[in-house]
Amino acid sequence: MYMRLWITGTLLLSASSARADHVHTVDHDGAHPFGAGVSMLAASFSTMLYSGNYQGVVPAVHWSHDRFAAGANVGLYRLEKNGAQFYGVGDVVVHGQVVLVGQHPVHAGVTAALSIPVGDQLRGMSMGHPMAMPALFGTYMFDRATVTATAGYSHAIAANSEHDHGMWPIVDPMNMVEFTWSAAGDVTLTRELHCGPVLSGGVPIGDGDNRVIGALRATWGSGRLSTAAELQLGLVGDPFIVRGVVSTALGF
Amino acid sequence: MRSFIVIAFVTACGGSPESTGTVCPDPDPMTLTWDNFGHEFMAKYCTWCHESDLPRSKRNGAPLYHDYDSLLGVIETPDHIDQQAGFGPNANNEFMPPGRCPSTPGGSLDTNCPQPTADERTKLAEWIACERNRDHHFLDAGVDAP
Repeated sequence: MYMRLWITGTLLLSASSARADHVHTVDHDGAHPFGAGVSMLAASFSTMLYSGNYQGVVPAVHWSHDRFAAGANVGLYRLEKNGAQFYGVGDVVVHGQVVLVGQHPVHAGVTAALSIPVGDQLRGMSMGHPMAMPALFGTYMFDRATVTATAGYSHAIAANSEHDHGMWPIVDPMNMVEFTWSAAGDVTLTRELHCGPVLSGGVPIGDGDNRVIGALRATWGSGRLSTAAELQLGLVGDPFIVRGVVSTALGF
Repeated sequence: MRSFIVIAFVTACGGSPESTGTVCPDPDPMTLTWDNFGHEFMAKYCTWCHESDLPRSKRNGAPLYHDYDSLLGVIETPDHIDQQAGFGPNANNEFMPPGRCPSTPGGSLDTNCPQPTADERTKLAEWIACERNRDHHFLDAGVDAP
């Protein structure tokens, strides 16, 4: 069951943000309170203004204890857009989670993330201002399956009110103010192998674009190590055309 | 935690494009126009990448529909020009031109970009502020729409 909770944590947090940069692995088994991981991603995109591709490496660290978990990550990117090529860092994201209801088969709680704009906004690697991203999550575990849903709200902090850049940055598109949502399923194939669909998105509040991302995800976990692969399609709003993400995390 | 929040906000406020707040004098003195200022400014600093004939792959990162080889293109995105390159009472924006430029439109980034002077950036913001208030009749004037 611990492994399924681990995977659920990975699923819901990655789905809640719909962004590979925010794939937060949360170890619930208590045996490994600390962890480190890395995600590698590649995507192609074609928006109204830009087309191109990007690749990224996103190191992450996390900590968990009892009902609480926290972590941080930052992406390093190579971005090619409209014929130009850039290398740079994305925004730093720190996040925390509290499980409020932890009675099997239901788990629910609150998660919150804050992005810190250290990347280059003009090049499409940073939002250009902090984003606060709180969300609620709920999980129901069946015999061999788990379903997870999230609902959140993301809001720009200290942003220039007249500078609405639409969905941005290219490597991690979101609106300045939006509702976020996700739904995910996870089926146990073997003790170590799980897979399932993920659907996530954002609904702008005010100016902006709807965003819907569909994905298929497979996760393999054994002992302290867990690895996940996800193929994502941008269904609505041009967040990207297709994106692949491979993540691996090790607990200590 | 306080230090963390302060760092986050300082970082956020450090490098974002901001409107210059420049206001066109009333009445419009017509001292800065496309013909006597804008065209030359754009040709000198911008159309190496912001040119309507350049395809995506030749734009060196410049977004589509931000083309400044015509007045029509300029007044379609006046805020962006002001926020990227204008000087004014509220902000001095030097995000554009970037450090490296092509020596031929659409070419590779093989030379340092010429940079406008502070006076030129101030005039740019004033010209944009005035130009957005002026009446334009492009089709009547024989200018092709994109």
